[in-house]
Amino acid sequence: MSQFVAMLKPDFLLHQALYGSVVMGFVCPLVGVYFLLRRLVFWGVALPQVSAAGIAFAFLLQGLGLNLLSGSEAHEKHLAIAASLLFTGASILFLAFLERRGKGVSEGRIGSLYALAWAASILFVAWNAAGETEMLGLLKGEIVAISESDFHAMLDVFGLIAAALFLFQREFLLVSYDRDMALTLGRKALVWELLLYLIVGLTVSLGVMTVGPLVVFGFLVVPPMAALPWARGMTSFSLLASLCGGVSALAGFYVSYARDLPLGPVIVFAACVFLALSWLAQAMLGLTGRSGAR
Amino acid sequence: MQEPLIRFRHASLGYGRVPVLAGVDLGIPAQAFVGILGHNGSGKTTLLKTVLGLLPCLKGQLVCPGAPRFGYVPQKERLDPIYPLTAYDVTAMGTWRRFELLARLRGTRRALVQRCLTDCGAAGLASKAYRDLSGGQKQRVLIARALAAEPQVLALDEPLAGIDITTQKALLKLLQELKERRRLTILMVSHRVQAEKELFSHVIWCDEGRAEMGGAEEMLGRGKLGDVFRTEL
Repeated sequence: MSQFVAMLKPDFLLHQALYGSVVMGFVCPLVGVYFLLRRLVFWGVALPQVSAAGIAFAFLLQGLGLNLLSGSEAHEKHLAIAASLLFTGASILFLAFLERRGKGVSEGRIGSLYALAWAASILFVAWNAAGETEMLGLLKGEIVAISESDFHAMLDVFGLIAAALFLFQREFLLVSYDRDMALTLGRKALVWELLLYLIVGLTVSLGVMTVGPLVVFGFLVVPPMAALPWARGMTSFSLLASLCGGVSALAGFYVSYARDLPLGPVIVFAACVFLALSWLAQAMLGLTGRSGAR
Repeated sequence: MQEPLIRFRHASLGYGRVPVLAGVDLGIPAQAFVGILGHNGSGKTTLLKTVLGLLPCLKGQLVCPGAPRFGYVPQKERLDPIYPLTAYDVTAMGTWRRFELLARLRGTRRALVQRCLTDCGAAGLASKAYRDLSGGQKQRVLIARALAAEPQVLALDEPLAGIDITTQKALLKLLQELKERRRLTILMVSHRVQAEKELFSHVIWCDEGRAEMGGAEEMLGRGKLGDVFRTEL
């Protein structure tokens, strides 16, 4: 317990990593609720891997001597974020376009993209032996080593994402739930969908750079799954999912710190404990099936 | 003579580049109750979606003088039950015509939403989970949602599908009352021919790539039905 109290003090050595994990835990599920409701959970698996491939590609360019930026560590990171965002954004638009056409097997496309992204990540690493160690660290997510400036930049961006999701909740809900109704009301459905995709791309790209693909996927999917059966409206769904993600991050960080375990898997495990408790409570209260999941 | 509220001029309607209906030339008068009838795949929903602006005319023109406001009731099965929404939440969507931050914070649309639910006999359902409602209750909520858009034209896509006879009659009575009370023009896609016969003022038959409009009496006569169904009635 004393370790937990010490962890919460401002002079805690890893306070930025702790706060960063908790902010990720609060914000990622706010985006994840749309993955779940739009039945795009598999996007949550594939996109972090695509983002990781983008990071690996940026480092490959550096390794090949194509220094697009000056080569300092900060510039390398910015290039990695840009490549990650580019890869993720292009994949989202590609998947969304095919989804709108409604032809072919959606799961097959996403599975293929996931396999391609994973293979590309490994190949980009293999072709860039010089930066391998640094890159593998980034791919795993280096939240523990996050710098002061990166931490503040992350707070700004995730603050903006949370604010946008709150401000435009009705628009995102309307185009997700009933696109035809949105168009009939004169709303520009495509614009709102693109904004939602931009938010998804930003969250995934920055999240992967900060905590790695595993934790991003965990935060996008598991807390919303745990919250859905208890939600009565979009606001309560978003808040419950966000709370579940934030508390999972805090609990995961504590266990990781106290038991000297790797942070990412412990956080995901903590979120899964919430999911198991949610299912158990549903079973005990006889609410199974209320979430409407098919 | 009064100009039609909605007018198609030599229009071809369809998806992508493939026309489902061609040479559509008809005018829908204000405050008409129009049944859009035909076989499966005959283009009923295509016609409705074009009127709503969800599909463009492939050829020809759709003219709506006065730019009437539409309220849309989709097929209820199209809405995914995974969404954790109450009947009130679903109805309130009809008021989301524009981005209104202050209205959101003050909840100024609440009275309108509540009134629409009451008008549709669904006031008691407001706090219930939409996904848990019966087919007839869902349909009432969807009609209330369309009314919340304060429309001049109410467009319904197969509102009676999958609903028992008693509830169908109650819904048809509700639509007739709403039409009278709110001076609505109603466009209703349906498979059924006989039950709504007395409600419709006009009928559009979609058949073999054509859409033909006329008065309900004439279009639902035995001879016409025999032509459409290719059997003697």
